[in-house]
Amino acid sequence: MIDKEWLPEGVQRCSFGKFMIWLAIWGAILLWGVYGMYLVLSKGLVTTNLNNYFGFGLWITFDLAVIALGAGAFFSGFLKYIVGIKELENIINLAVIVGFICYVGAMLVLVLDIGQPLRAWFGYWHPNVHSMLTEVIFCITCYCTVLLIEYIPIILENRKLSQNLFIRKLAHNFHIFMPLFAGVGTFLSCFHQGSLGGMYGVLFGRPFAYREGFFIWPWTFFLFVVSAIASGPAFTMLIATLMEKISGRKLVSYDVKMLMGKIAGSLLCFYIFFKILDTWYWATVTLPKMGLTFDQVFNNNAGFGKWLLWTEIGLCGVIPAILLIVPKFRRIPVLLYTAAILDCIGIVINRYVFTVQTCAAPVLPFDKWHSYTPNWVEWITSIEIIAFGVIVLSLSYRYLPLFPQERQLNKS
Amino acid sequence: MEHKEFKVKWGMVIDIDKCTGCGACMVACQAENNIAPMQDGSDKTMTLTWMLVYELSNGKPFPDHEIAYLPRPCMQCGKPSCSTVCPVVATTKDEEGGIVSQIYPRCIGCRYCMAACPYHARYFNWYDPKWPKGLDKTLNISASPRPRGVVEKCTFCHHRFMEAKEKARYEGKDPLKLPEDAYIPACAEICPTGAIVFGDLNNPEHKVAKLAKSKYAFRLLERLGTDPQVYYYSKREWVRRLADNYLSTEKTKGE
Amino acid sequence: MGLDRRGFITFLVGGAVGTLCTPIPWKTLDDVSIWSQNWPWIPKLQYGKRSQVASVCKLCPAGCGLSIHKVGKRPVVAQGNSTHPLSEGGVCPLGSCSVRLLYRPARVKGPLKNNNGKFEPISWDEARRILSEKLSSGKAACISGDENGSASEVLAGFLSLLGSEDFYFMPSDAQVSAYTWSQMGGKGQIGFDLENSDYVLSLGADILSSWGTVVRNQKAFATRKGKYIYAGPVQTGTAAAVDEWVPVYPGQEGVLALGIAYYLLKMGKGATIDGFSEVKNFVLSKYTPAVVEAKTGVKINKIKQLAQELVAAGSPCVIIGSDFGQGSGSFDWTSGILLNLLLGNVNKRGGMVLLPEVKVVESAPSRASLSKNVLGEFLKNVVSGNKKIDVLMVYDANPIYALPQALQVQEAFSKIPFKVGFSTFLDETAVMCDLILPAPHFLERYDDAYTPFGSGKVIYSVAAPVIKPVVNAKSTPDFILEVAKSLKKDLGYKSFEDVLKAKASAVGADFEDLLSGRTKVSNKWVGQNQLRLSVEILANGLVPDTEGTFLAPVARNYLGNTTQALTPTEVVVVRDSELKGRDLYVQVNRTTAKKLGLKQGDKVKLQGAGREFVGRVNITETVMDDTIAVPLGFGHEAWDEYVRGKGDNVFKVLSVVTEKGSGFQVWNKSQVKVVRA
Repeated sequence: MIDKEWLPEGVQRCSFGKFMIWLAIWGAILLWGVYGMYLVLSKGLVTTNLNNYFGFGLWITFDLAVIALGAGAFFSGFLKYIVGIKELENIINLAVIVGFICYVGAMLVLVLDIGQPLRAWFGYWHPNVHSMLTEVIFCITCYCTVLLIEYIPIILENRKLSQNLFIRKLAHNFHIFMPLFAGVGTFLSCFHQGSLGGMYGVLFGRPFAYREGFFIWPWTFFLFVVSAIASGPAFTMLIATLMEKISGRKLVSYDVKMLMGKIAGSLLCFYIFFKILDTWYWATVTLPKMGLTFDQVFNNNAGFGKWLLWTEIGLCGVIPAILLIVPKFRRIPVLLYTAAILDCIGIVINRYVFTVQTCAAPVLPFDKWHSYTPNWVEWITSIEIIAFGVIVLSLSYRYLPLFPQERQLNKS
Repeated sequence: MEHKEFKVKWGMVIDIDKCTGCGACMVACQAENNIAPMQDGSDKTMTLTWMLVYELSNGKPFPDHEIAYLPRPCMQCGKPSCSTVCPVVATTKDEEGGIVSQIYPRCIGCRYCMAACPYHARYFNWYDPKWPKGLDKTLNISASPRPRGVVEKCTFCHHRFMEAKEKARYEGKDPLKLPEDAYIPACAEICPTGAIVFGDLNNPEHKVAKLAKSKYAFRLLERLGTDPQVYYYSKREWVRRLADNYLSTEKTKGE
Repeated sequence: MGLDRRGFITFLVGGAVGTLCTPIPWKTLDDVSIWSQNWPWIPKLQYGKRSQVASVCKLCPAGCGLSIHKVGKRPVVAQGNSTHPLSEGGVCPLGSCSVRLLYRPARVKGPLKNNNGKFEPISWDEARRILSEKLSSGKAACISGDENGSASEVLAGFLSLLGSEDFYFMPSDAQVSAYTWSQMGGKGQIGFDLENSDYVLSLGADILSSWGTVVRNQKAFATRKGKYIYAGPVQTGTAAAVDEWVPVYPGQEGVLALGIAYYLLKMGKGATIDGFSEVKNFVLSKYTPAVVEAKTGVKINKIKQLAQELVAAGSPCVIIGSDFGQGSGSFDWTSGILLNLLLGNVNKRGGMVLLPEVKVVESAPSRASLSKNVLGEFLKNVVSGNKKIDVLMVYDANPIYALPQALQVQEAFSKIPFKVGFSTFLDETAVMCDLILPAPHFLERYDDAYTPFGSGKVIYSVAAPVIKPVVNAKSTPDFILEVAKSLKKDLGYKSFEDVLKAKASAVGADFEDLLSGRTKVSNKWVGQNQLRLSVEILANGLVPDTEGTFLAPVARNYLGNTTQALTPTEVVVVRDSELKGRDLYVQVNRTTAKKLGLKQGDKVKLQGAGREFVGRVNITETVMDDTIAVPLGFGHEAWDEYVRGKGDNVFKVLSVVTEKGSGFQVWNKSQVKVVRA
């Protein structure tokens, strides 16, 4: 293999040619996505299916979803560096990279989504401190930097690179400061997960999204934080498992996976309890105050039936919570993985309805329900982020010592 | 949430019982505010209409069916749902008169304000404005043209307010005590039945101040707490009931 | 001192860091907001001195006074002239577009000659030479869409100097009413004094949406003294606002009038007209409440109630008209006039009034005699060969698009060897012509409007050009005067401006006053001699209906009209229940849809007059039972990308009947067969 000396020590990797083919496939998808981006940036948002009713659509859903799922990074970091759960070092590298991919992807998509990308930085230049979105802009950009800083030392651990003395020392220094960055990251990430929820909760003109709350923060603020950390670790664990399936090698011990599952499960229990309370209060107090009934804010014909809610809270909330929290179930790999998948789907549905159903539900009594289907440009630019993620992750896996347990687990 | 009180509060009272749905207000608005023509205008999910006339139905079958038309400008809410959420202060409600502003060169086009506004009064420039050759010569010099990618909305023809104030100052009068009709938006001016009445809601000498207090006056979605400066007027109960969401047990406002 | 590599790098880095401490990069960044607002393709505002001038809208016959806002020499926005009696500051959506229409892409840019299907630009001199030559040797005819302007008078006068009587107005209620009234022995132009009426009953005429002096009607309605009732098949803008909507099957409003007359006669009301007792007996025996209910769909009680309310009113006014402004017959007008006569409100305050005519071109026939010329009849005769015409001139009209039996119109056109289109826009008729001689947009020419149809007063308005023509256009009446001169025919005027000056003095107004927007208004009514009425006309209401669903065309000014296609600025006013993409919606209520087996969004064909109309079904309760409502103004094949190919043209399926007793062609009672496409 021509790149042999770049590979981590004592591990096996597929042939360079095979790896190139793998990269080429994802690279092609990435290029297709880049073409989509070109269309959007040159011809404007008219190339998408977004419209006056759906100012927010797939992209914002995708953003919110990947940001929630990428929460594994900050929360694992928090648990490892601040709380001190040592076992997490076996998966923290992956968590950081997944987080990095998710945030970079989210930022790219946001730049596409706004009508004036050249003015994207106005959030800093003319900030409105009352807007939840300002908080989101601040935190996402800052946290993305933090994730980059957390990613760099992992890159520096590359066998060939670390032969350089300066790089070795640099990497060491990065490691020393890592708890500090983990702390900053936790604060930033926690806040903007919350602000993303707050963005919807404050919409007092949109009964579907509006929530009362505590001081300036609507309940969605807290629910989004908790739901993100209830799904992030599960997502990281799923990615590790997926990488194992693809590479055919054991990367993380099942104990670590169960630990991630347990963390996600506990938080999911906590989350789903409050989510049910919140939904109950919203349906019986908040909505009637606005003159609406629970039935009125759902519509099957437009594609926003109550089944979405039951799926989100029941099938993808209560069930995975039980499967993850009960050790007996957690020990069975199929159940652990199924629960993790359901958990992630539930959170994606949650982000989807808050983004899209909020816009679809008519507020003016003489208006009607509207439906929205993303077009290929929206899909391909979103898939592009996934392709980007696969490529970054593939490169990282091949050339960086991501999994401390890998050598041990594949000894036989 | 911040809530400013103003000495002057420009507002409208739109008499729905007088509106014939002719659309003159919409056309006058397009011309006054330099909105470029579009080829497909019936797909309301892509159009740009600061003023839009809705058709209301009492929902009954023929021959008990009734219709009414409801022109919808920006409500210039007392407690705007839009300006508070804008991340870049591109829309504010901070000027005497209570008109919610829109600063096009600052808008980043995130459309959060559109998601926030329950009246769909905010519009995004999906297209680059396309002016047929020569049509740019008919642009109103008081309204700057916008590029694609920014949000815009009705401003009660704010430029006319500026001009009226300037004129008052020039004549040595108080610009904050403009007489009736010294300042009036294009839609209200053109309306053939005079269904749109415009004035200072805080000035008891102005017609709107009186009309807004009528028992038949109402506002759209009042219970959301947006406190609009646009009032409507109808003697028909079914029209008033369509203005807000009501539980089946609740009585219509004004009954 | 030499600059080594190290020094150079230091300089670069130092420079970069140093620049960051200056406002340059930060200011540049902030400027993004300015230049991302001002891309090269975003038009720049062209500043100049502001002013306002008066004008008169010629986009429809309503004759509204406009106030044109100008910047420098350019008009920018059109608003209502608040001192003009027909607009009082209001304008309809069409009038509001007028400035932007100067630059409508479909404008004809200069005189064109059709060279075997290809239009080639020619000069005005050549155009005059060609037309003079054709006219000197052949028989000429003219179609005009200008109902109340002196341009039509110039054209009609020119024609009669050429020895031709073939001058035709585009069909309208104005024409039918004038004809009917003169047949009854009446004098003057029928008007309605809405402002002073305390009970207005509009039978068919969509007075607040499209009919007559539409803006003035709305102004009168806004300050109404009493009730407004609208009888028609569709809940139009008029029905939405008036006090009561009385659903009537399309074109049956005349029958309803006679149904009301029945009750008035029962109450002992009478009128001093020749043949009254015969008329009375006829109405009482033939138009009994049961018959009228069956024909109109209006319940007996409602008919009776309308009669009682009319009698109780101090100054009632009954307006009659076609639901869509044209295609009515003498029957409808006779019935409506009879009702007004029975109410005793003719030439009374708040009633039906008769306004004097004015004519200044000596050779031109009178309005009353011109109203006898029926365009449909003429075209039929051309097709059959009974009439041989060599040159046809079309002014401000689009007969190829806006007439029923379009195939016959096209055939007539093909039989006439030389056609001239005096058209501002490249419409369906212009593209069929051999010469297109662009008329200026009304803001670019002198023009006038004398007492628009429906007005309750004599009103004369004149407008001077607001801007020089933005294309190579020439005032049609001026061009006609030039052609007349070259043919040695004397119309008595050197220029069209002189014609207008003569008219101004004929109505007793100062020309300069008129130009500045001060309109001449007079309340003079024309006294009448003994009127007569024959029952033959009244029998037309008893003709049994044919098979099929009733067709109710709907005219709305925001959809353009018969001369002006949907304007670019009005495109966004079109509702999503009217047009979807390129498919036009036809409107039916739930009961009718069920009867016809139709569902929302179904593609349907309406078959009538041997042709087909394609549309989609929209189910709405705004239409009465057994009726299908279709908006006028779509299905254009010429014009520009803002209208071309949108929807279908309902004129295609309107069926024309020749009315007994008047010979008039009538098409306001069409029925169609509805089949799924």
